[in-house]
Amino acid sequence: MNRPLLQMLNIETYYGPIMAIRGVSLDVYEGEIVAVLGANGAGKTTLLKTATGALDSSKGQVLLDGEEIQCRDPDWVARKGIAHVPEGREVFPFLSVAENLAMGAFNRNDADGVAADLRIVYDYFPLLEEMREKMAGYLSGGQQQMLAIGRGFMARPRLLLLDEPSLGLSPALVQEIFEIISRLNQEQELTILLVEQNANIALQVSQRGYVMEVGGMVMDGPSDKLLESEDIKEFYLGKKDEGVRGRRRWKKRKTWR
Amino acid sequence: MSKPDVIIDGCDTLAKLFLKKTQERGDRIAMREKDFGIWQSYTWNDYREQALRIAYGLLSVGLRRGDVVSIQSEDCREWLWTDVGVLLAGGVVNGIYPTYQVRQVEHALTDSNARFLFVEDEEQLDKFLEIESDLPAIEKVFVFDWRGLRGFEHAKVESIDKLYERGDAYRAEHDGQVDQIVAAGSNDDLVALLYTSGTTGMPKGSMLTNRYVLFQTTLAPEYIRQTADDEILTYLPLCHLAERMFSAWLPIAHGATINFAESPETVMQNLQELSPTYVFAVPRVWEKFYSRVTTAMSEATWLGRKAYDLALRVGNRRADKLIAGEPLSASERFTFGLADRLVFRNIKKVLGLDRAHSACSGAAPISPSLLRWFLAIGLAIDELWGQTELGIITSTRAGVFRFGTVGPCFPGTDVRIDDNGEIVARSVGQFEGYLNLPDKTADTVVDGWIHTGDVGELDEEGNLSITDRLKDIIITAGGKNITPSVMENELKFSPFISDAVIIGDQRKFLTCLIMIDQENVEHYAQTHSVPFTDYRSLCARPEIIELIDSEVTRVNAGFSSVEQVKKFRLIDILLTAEDEELTPTMKLKRSFVSEKYTGLISDMYSR
Repeated sequence: MNRPLLQMLNIETYYGPIMAIRGVSLDVYEGEIVAVLGANGAGKTTLLKTATGALDSSKGQVLLDGEEIQCRDPDWVARKGIAHVPEGREVFPFLSVAENLAMGAFNRNDADGVAADLRIVYDYFPLLEEMREKMAGYLSGGQQQMLAIGRGFMARPRLLLLDEPSLGLSPALVQEIFEIISRLNQEQELTILLVEQNANIALQVSQRGYVMEVGGMVMDGPSDKLLESEDIKEFYLGKKDEGVRGRRRWKKRKTWR
Repeated sequence: MSKPDVIIDGCDTLAKLFLKKTQERGDRIAMREKDFGIWQSYTWNDYREQALRIAYGLLSVGLRRGDVVSIQSEDCREWLWTDVGVLLAGGVVNGIYPTYQVRQVEHALTDSNARFLFVEDEEQLDKFLEIESDLPAIEKVFVFDWRGLRGFEHAKVESIDKLYERGDAYRAEHDGQVDQIVAAGSNDDLVALLYTSGTTGMPKGSMLTNRYVLFQTTLAPEYIRQTADDEILTYLPLCHLAERMFSAWLPIAHGATINFAESPETVMQNLQELSPTYVFAVPRVWEKFYSRVTTAMSEATWLGRKAYDLALRVGNRRADKLIAGEPLSASERFTFGLADRLVFRNIKKVLGLDRAHSACSGAAPISPSLLRWFLAIGLAIDELWGQTELGIITSTRAGVFRFGTVGPCFPGTDVRIDDNGEIVARSVGQFEGYLNLPDKTADTVVDGWIHTGDVGELDEEGNLSITDRLKDIIITAGGKNITPSVMENELKFSPFISDAVIIGDQRKFLTCLIMIDQENVEHYAQTHSVPFTDYRSLCARPEIIELIDSEVTRVNAGFSSVEQVKKFRLIDILLTAEDEELTPTMKLKRSFVSEKYTGLISDMYSR
């Protein structure tokens, strides 16, 4: 394989005295969807924030196409081609849908290209077009998530970071959003790094996955292999063998094999 | 052949000794265990009363003299209460490792023909339930911890609380029955079945009598320096001879207070918290202490490192004099005192070894370099040697440092070297044979002498040194005899290597399978910016292979060419106690490993 589009090497990130990520490495290749799984507090969001410069790492490198981008300002990183769709959507509530999308393209000056991409966003999310004059704060959770993804796409990034797009959405809506994510990846050749708690859907749409626990990587591999792993099944997919009594409470020891 | 009785304080059984000593000690603290994070104490009176409740409870469900009762649990207070309770009721205890998989549990229960089973919790209970139909001999199962089982009903299974109730009710009607049973006991009665880890084939159950156990307790406090004032940490499986001896039998006889580690994962924290005064540890734990200090020092400030280096130089000089048996000058005493106060005491405090007046190592060979380092920082470690069949029969003596030997044998025991180099030994209190295996017993015990399966030498002072296991000796294709454990121990002394198995029988050269020390190698990778994700990818990194290669090269330098390891491979699966590759004391099983990793091995010999 050629050089990865995004490479994170031995990243350590602190919140004050607390080491939130203790030496994490990860690769994302052009055209891939890569999923990062992990429980609350595992350091997934911190990892994305470190990639975009919202947090500075105290150690390690972030390489975008071979160029070091760690510890730079987030807007500089965004110009380099990384768009971040944050956890909890974070749309601008007092701006309209159209204005929110325009914010996504803040660093572009090809008006024709921006118009074309706006068309694409509206094609993927027809609802947004219907509501384009509405204030974003009035949108439902699912609509806001669509808007946030659309806003990220408007930057025409080389890499889109998605932080828990399934958060707080109904199962049907999760299905719908992930279908669109998958289509964006295939049809628009968008490379995506996806952080998720919903391991099942994340592993279905992604080609490769990583598992994080307490700030470190414990497992990685092709997504279909991860779906087969006993530990993933028990601890992330909630599929466990109920044992002889039909109600097993004890947990197996994680081995990450 | 009749054997002499071993009698302590007028008691010829452990049960009699227990009743007598617990009466004497009354409300002194016998054991502590954490409950929701808070240490709870139990006195010797509690110990006796709980054991009596279990004893009467077992009598009420029909336990007869000589019946086998199995305990399948991590170390906890109920383990010891049940251990003695069974004994008081006239039964025999068979400890089952909680890490055993169901088939191993089945073997342990069937082979011992156990009638009753005590399990720790629902996890252990599930193992029984899975194979219940194959175990018709089990009449009742008692569960220490009923959490997660509310609403569960099964004709054979009940909580230990239920057994206590049964015991209280039965005792009200039959008080004194236990005393009669105990009074009828003799030196020849079995106390326990100890299954040995069995690196080849199924584990064998060694039959241990009161004579065996009482003889072992006579070794303290003179040779095994555990006394009533000691605090000890219980963390190895109680099914293993060493922990049973240090945490069950010796404290019953001599009165030390035991403290249960919260779990196998928290041993290091618990040690630090308790700072026990008497420490027994397996070499793997001593190695871990050393590698933690080495890693911490590599990260220390310049001043800290300098201070450590200087102190270590002073410590090493003192250690060399002690080893040579030369007296220390006043200035040497003074400088060591200074080094101890400024540096070593802090190290020992962090490790939880600052109060230890006595430390010992056993159950596996330990590297002399490691013992010398501990002596340098002011902690003299005694090396003990024995095996389940014999008990502990040799130990290095206080103040005498003969690293590489396990010291002379104790009074009441004999050691000699057979013509083929094998160590044969006997003891007043040796085992009574393997259960159900008269042929294997006859192979092991010849004319009262036990063939240990170890090869070794005796020096002119009577110090025994262990070369290796007889069956582990490698004969290379060139006809050269190699004892792999010497080099394996030197490899394990590296902070980056957790365990190593040397291979080369009938081969042209020696190779090695290495298990890395996860913590230290990850730390190395992180500080040297070596990217990795999981354990497997860590083992595959060329920088890590290079690191281990440099360690192997360094160790190789101390050996002649034919004894050197020419190639090695890393075991890239993180092994846990549940895996059959490891013994319960976390040693790699040579035969198992060389079979399981044939792919890696043939790869080393293919080119």
